[in-house]
Amino acid sequence: MAVACTLLALPYAAAGTAKPLHTWKWFDVASEGGTALAAAAWCLIVLGSRPDGRVTRLLAAGFVSIMLGSWADCMDEFFAIGKAALWDNALEALVPLGMAILTAGMVCWRQEQACLTEHLKKRERLFRDHRAFDRVTQLADARYLRAQLERERGACALVLLDIDGFHRINREHGQAEGDRVLQAVSHMLLLNLRSDDLLCRYAGDRFAVLMPGLPEAAARNAAQHLCAMVAMMRHHAATGEVALTLRHSCAQADAVPGRTPDMVLADLCRQVDAA
Amino acid sequence: MIAWRGAAEPSIPAHQQPALVLAFARSRDAADSALLRGTGLDPLAGPGALVAPAQYLDLLANALRALDSPDTSFMLGQQLLPGHDGAPSNALVQAPTLREALAILCRWHARLTPLLRPRFETWDGMAALYWVDSHGAPGLRPALVEMHMTAVVALCRWLGGERLPWRFCFNRAAPRHVEQHHVHLGSALRFDCQFDAMLIEPEWLDRPWPRGSALAAALALRAAEGEPERPAGLLAALYDYLLERVRMAPVLERTASDFGVSPATLKRQLARHGTHFQAELDQVRTHVALWMFHAQGADNEAVARYLGFHDAANFRRSFKRWTGLTPLSLRSGLAG
Repeated sequence: MAVACTLLALPYAAAGTAKPLHTWKWFDVASEGGTALAAAAWCLIVLGSRPDGRVTRLLAAGFVSIMLGSWADCMDEFFAIGKAALWDNALEALVPLGMAILTAGMVCWRQEQACLTEHLKKRERLFRDHRAFDRVTQLADARYLRAQLERERGACALVLLDIDGFHRINREHGQAEGDRVLQAVSHMLLLNLRSDDLLCRYAGDRFAVLMPGLPEAAARNAAQHLCAMVAMMRHHAATGEVALTLRHSCAQADAVPGRTPDMVLADLCRQVDAA
Repeated sequence: MIAWRGAAEPSIPAHQQPALVLAFARSRDAADSALLRGTGLDPLAGPGALVAPAQYLDLLANALRALDSPDTSFMLGQQLLPGHDGAPSNALVQAPTLREALAILCRWHARLTPLLRPRFETWDGMAALYWVDSHGAPGLRPALVEMHMTAVVALCRWLGGERLPWRFCFNRAAPRHVEQHHVHLGSALRFDCQFDAMLIEPEWLDRPWPRGSALAAALALRAAEGEPERPAGLLAALYDYLLERVRMAPVLERTASDFGVSPATLKRQLARHGTHFQAELDQVRTHVALWMFHAQGADNEAVARYLGFHDAANFRRSFKRWTGLTPLSLRSGLAG
């Protein structure tokens, strides 16, 4: 960008005549130069924080062109250019062009965000709180689940799923492999949920699925399906294949006066321990 | 004279539990600078290096803060036992039954669990493993208890091949992260007790364990007896001492001379461990009183007589001061 700005300054220096220092308008220099610098910074932020792709390129191109246009505008303050020179106006037109590109980038970004939100829906449901996410599986945690249960008004079912013999995987293959198993199982579960369902990592190797609008029998059926899908999975550890099976417990979790989410969860934990 | 070790004396091999904590925190993306801050630990120390319990406690506190996740203490506990401390660890892996494993753990606590001291008690119809401080760390106590209870649960599940029906009592209010207790320990939890204990029905104590070998365990234990003894932490040694003499009204001066130091030194050492003599004595008396209530169904009169109080009213007042509760309310709580 520094190279582009230097190159852009060259025709001005060559074709124009330098204005004397006392005629420089310092306010214009500051505002146009400042815009160029800010646009450069935005461009770097976008490139640094987003993965490469159409949206990133459009946003970056928009900022670059705004930067160059403002820089050309700023050069005007130092060099007098003849009224007949059109190339100078063309360079300044980079600003509106950049804004158009940026707008297009924003529209694409919006579409991308809608896709991502759709993708995240099974993980977060209704409201977003980035602190409540587990670092290993990127799923919501038990605190988030309790908050959701408290917000839930209609009929809903809650399923707990436990990985059989997970402690043995940790002991025999190490905790890093255990983490990979958790990630694999969470992906498998996500693929088999409705878009209204919420998958959480309750703690350790225990997952919780909140299924709004489902009666207990249907939820039990869905839980059995989830267990069957995980049992079909093949997990390849460094030292060979690991068979994965789940056990589950299931209950109605509707808001009943006097029955707190903590009580529902404690009951379910007792059930899954006994399963 | 009683052998003991202060929290500031290097006594824990750096490549054992401290290395485990460091490795786990690094695997969860914690920076070394945050983990080692203020501990005075050298991450490049050679294999023979020793770490003081106080340094290990600082390291743990840093790791818990840096990871800021409710499962840290439980995940650390999963890896804690049998440990890699030569003969005692080998004996633990070979333990033929739960009773044998708990006996090994209690006998070799200074090497296997240097921060908390497990004690094992049985009475008719119940067996209990409860945890007392070795080096004192009031702020870390809940995390240490979670870590050590998880370690024992995970070890027994691994060696016994099944989940044992433990029940848990905690000397704390119910935490926000109770889900971690549910998954890593079990669903039979009770909070606001006066002690940190794991209870189990005695019929589980003598079931043979699939991978156990009494012969190999005995050989490993004999090897362990031949190695130089590692003394217990000051608070663990003091607890044992006071428990033995709880009926004889132990005093600081006599205790100090039995521990081979002057009363002023013992006082200063206890202050460094975050406690004082009377608090330790009161804790022992509370535990004895609770044990009598619970195991023998004793009443206030009997406990007062046993502990050398003039009368039940006097005992009742003291008990209220130790625990904040009257014996009656605590007994009804235990029964519920």
